[in-house]
Amino acid sequence: MWLGVWLAVLGLAVGAMIGLYVPVLLPMAYARYTSVAVLAALDSVFGGIKAGMEDKFDNKVFISGFFSNALLAAGLAFIGERLGIELYLAAVVAFGVRLFQNLAIIRRHLLKR
Amino acid sequence: MDKTRYLSIAVVSVVLGIMLVVQFRSTVANENTGVTFDRAQELTVEMRQLEKERHALQLEIEDLSQKLNQANKGQSQGINALKSELEKIKLLAGTLAVKGPGVELLIDNLPQPERPGVDPNIFAVRDEDLLKVINELRTAGAEAISINENRIVATSEIRLAGSFINVNLTRVLPPFKIKAIGNPEILKSSLEVSGGLVEHLQDMGISVVIEKKEELIVPAYSGKQHFDYAKQS
Repeated sequence: MWLGVWLAVLGLAVGAMIGLYVPVLLPMAYARYTSVAVLAALDSVFGGIKAGMEDKFDNKVFISGFFSNALLAAGLAFIGERLGIELYLAAVVAFGVRLFQNLAIIRRHLLKR
Repeated sequence: MDKTRYLSIAVVSVVLGIMLVVQFRSTVANENTGVTFDRAQELTVEMRQLEKERHALQLEIEDLSQKLNQANKGQSQGINALKSELEKIKLLAGTLAVKGPGVELLIDNLPQPERPGVDPNIFAVRDEDLLKVINELRTAGAEAISINENRIVATSEIRLAGSFINVNLTRVLPPFKIKAIGNPEILKSSLEVSGGLVEHLQDMGISVVIEKKEELIVPAYSGKQHFDYAKQS
């Protein structure tokens, strides 16, 4: 369990370093999609943490959920842009709500201990 | 099972870290620029276009103002030149009143004793006498001449019409006052030279009085000032 936490922290640090030193700046047009993707990814991660706390953690679900959610959110935002509807708001709301729910569950699990 | 779990956690966390940081940086950078890349490009292009236009207009302004200045200058210069030329020509043509030093002649008939059977006009001043006087004055360098305020110009005539003398188609009567502008000394002496005109006239029984004047005014010619027949060749 704690090894996983440390791994996660280390992975985040490594990813942050990579992100800082990769000379890629997303143009404004794509930033909107990626923002939704990041939100989805965060949601997936917290969902994974919640699942881990409930001892329901499934690796396949976690990985597939992480990537597919991110891609789906970005795609949704893109399609919304094409259709003239700001569909990314739907993703924001949905993932936002889920995020809070997951966080609340995690908090309760932490309090039970 | 555990290994794959940790591997997946590591991979996901790395990816998430990258995503987060790139997103942060992008957001901050975009907020800093304030306008989107496309819009900036558009505005840049527009600005360049306007700069070019402005430059062209500036050049046009310079060009036109220069032309205007030149035109104004040319106009005023031309007008001034024409005016001065006109003044000169008027002066030479005698259509301007002029003043200057010169002489004033007073030519008059002396009172004739009554002689029966003799025409008194025989001793009167005749047109030839006036013509001779004018001729003499011109020879002596007179620049402006008038007879009884009639300016003598290039087209002036002095002619007997009946028993009167006409100058510029105007009847002139004795006493004849002739004004001439020029060097007073020369004018006077050329008239009074011994055996000259004045002597001759006095012999004919005509009184001639010559006065040098510091300043006299010769009037302008007031006759017709256009030609009906003569045209520029």
